Amino acid sequence: MTSNLPLINIMFLMITAFAFPLIKKIKYIYFFSYIIHILLVISTLATLMFVVNHGAYALNIGYPDTFMGIQLYISHVEALLGVVFSIIFLMVVIFASSTIDKEISENRIGLFYLLVNILYTSLIGVIYSNDLFNAYVFIEVSTLSACGLIIIKDKGETILAAIKYLIMSTVGSGLVLMSIAYLYSITGHLNILLSHNVIVATYQDYPNSVLIILSLFTLGLGVKSALFPLHGWLPDAHSSAPTPSSAILSSLVIKVYMVLLIKIIFRLFGLNIVKDIVIMDIILLLGSAGMIFGSVMAIKQKELKRMVAYSSVAQIGYVAFGIGLGSIAGLTIAVYHIIGHALTKSSIFLISGLMISQNKSKYIEDLKGIGHEMPITLILFTLASFSMVGIPIFPGFISKWYLSLACLELNRISLILIILASSLLNLLYYFPIVINGFFGKENLKGRIRKSKKVNPYSLFPIVTLIILMLLTGLFSGRIIDFIALSFA
Amino acid sequence: MKGLLTNYYETAAIILFGIGFATLMLHSNLIKKIIGMNIMDTAIFLFFIAKGYIFESQAPIIRGELKTVYAYVNPVPSALMLTGIVVAVTTTAFALALTIKLNEKYHTVDLDKIMEMEGDKNDE
Repeated sequence: MTSNLPLINIMFLMITAFAFPLIKKIKYIYFFSYIIHILLVISTLATLMFVVNHGAYALNIGYPDTFMGIQLYISHVEALLGVVFSIIFLMVVIFASSTIDKEISENRIGLFYLLVNILYTSLIGVIYSNDLFNAYVFIEVSTLSACGLIIIKDKGETILAAIKYLIMSTVGSGLVLMSIAYLYSITGHLNILLSHNVIVATYQDYPNSVLIILSLFTLGLGVKSALFPLHGWLPDAHSSAPTPSSAILSSLVIKVYMVLLIKIIFRLFGLNIVKDIVIMDIILLLGSAGMIFGSVMAIKQKELKRMVAYSSVAQIGYVAFGIGLGSIAGLTIAVYHIIGHALTKSSIFLISGLMISQNKSKYIEDLKGIGHEMPITLILFTLASFSMVGIPIFPGFISKWYLSLACLELNRISLILIILASSLLNLLYYFPIVINGFFGKENLKGRIRKSKKVNPYSLFPIVTLIILMLLTGLFSGRIIDFIALSFA
Repeated sequence: MKGLLTNYYETAAIILFGIGFATLMLHSNLIKKIIGMNIMDTAIFLFFIAKGYIFESQAPIIRGELKTVYAYVNPVPSALMLTGIVVAVTTTAFALALTIKLNEKYHTVDLDKIMEMEGDKNDE
């Protein structure tokens, strides 16, 4: 029973999703979504406990043997990511119940929750799936539902952003499907484990094929996860969407494709095969370029949400950097960074949504002195930005630290300079908001202390996310050891 | 060159993919973009199905006695592409719906003109 939970989660979310538009009273919609997401947290936790006790396992669906049926594979990374995702979804849903009715029209609230459920299904589907074509279908579902979550506001700019996202995503998924076709032609399998066995036996006969497959996967998944310089669609899409949507999109959706890339590199090919391929260096290069340029772009932004969105481009750069190092330490820290950043970025997006709606302006300029009016909110923002900048103990620092250690291990010391430069650039755009928010006599003129009340229902999820972020930083050693079990 | 001619299915698929990709990227008219998207998807279907096809072989449905392995094509790529076609149709329908919405709001389907109307967001 417990071992079947991953499949049950996927089915449960799919089925319950379509009940939302049928519920008339909005109160019941909120209540129903709480129940679903609390159950999901419990069930992903049970999966995690099962993996801790029994180790990684494969779950065959339909047929008892892997050759015919679809397979899910749940190892430590997948189980841990499932828990993190379910917690973030629960918090976003709680936040949404207090603010979403201000952002979208009332008859669309049911549809919003439907899309959240479908998106969640597809994300955990991509994470758990051990079958490449199955993963491709889940990727498509996630793209369409993510577009839906953007356009649900029904404004000109959101539709424009969604169509840009859709076009870029189509190119990305086309490339992914092309590489699956290529892989199928040389291995005859879609299952990652079976393909791996064939590739290990025969890759020396096809020197170019491995290069082509890996580059197509990198390009396709790179477009979808906004890897620099393929990030063109991200700032519009993530800044124009409703706040709960942007929190999910920025913290979870773009990460999932990176998880799939890690699975392809580590499980499909294996580090020994990809070690000498030039693509790994290209991933490293794009990651480093993203770390720098994403931050530079973020500094230039005038709107708060656009700034945070560009910061996501930089953070995807860190993940790609970890993958591109091509060592087990690099992959481990890439996964850790995915978790740490998911918790941090979702809380930052929720906080910015609160500040924008209370301050009635989306520009960074107008946030001066906001700390006087919304002290608790800005303190939470400060904590989250500490993590982005990389103050010790916070998860952002831990991932930078271990990334540097991984560089040292490979004797590539010059790479540490990039990490350092990126941290300093992060400082340049997060701290002005904090400093201008709290201090400066000029800024506090006309601001009345604690004048802007924040609904406790919106504050609770943010506080929870920040606490979890701190815990992720404090127990980083244990978490990294746990992740490393998957890469053993 | 010889390799390209012997694998003419794949060659045709890659050329079609290029045409579709160029249409998708270079045109600013949204309808043309969607057409390009479809050509690209079709090229991938051709590529994938060609992987399972053996010249002069039948679908693996046994009528009468069972023939040798070489008498049947591989059915898995065709079955997968059925799913692929469903996905492509859904995406096309969604993109067309978005185009209608955009046309309602901006009275044009030209992406460049719409971007001009939306104004510069100081990106570059």
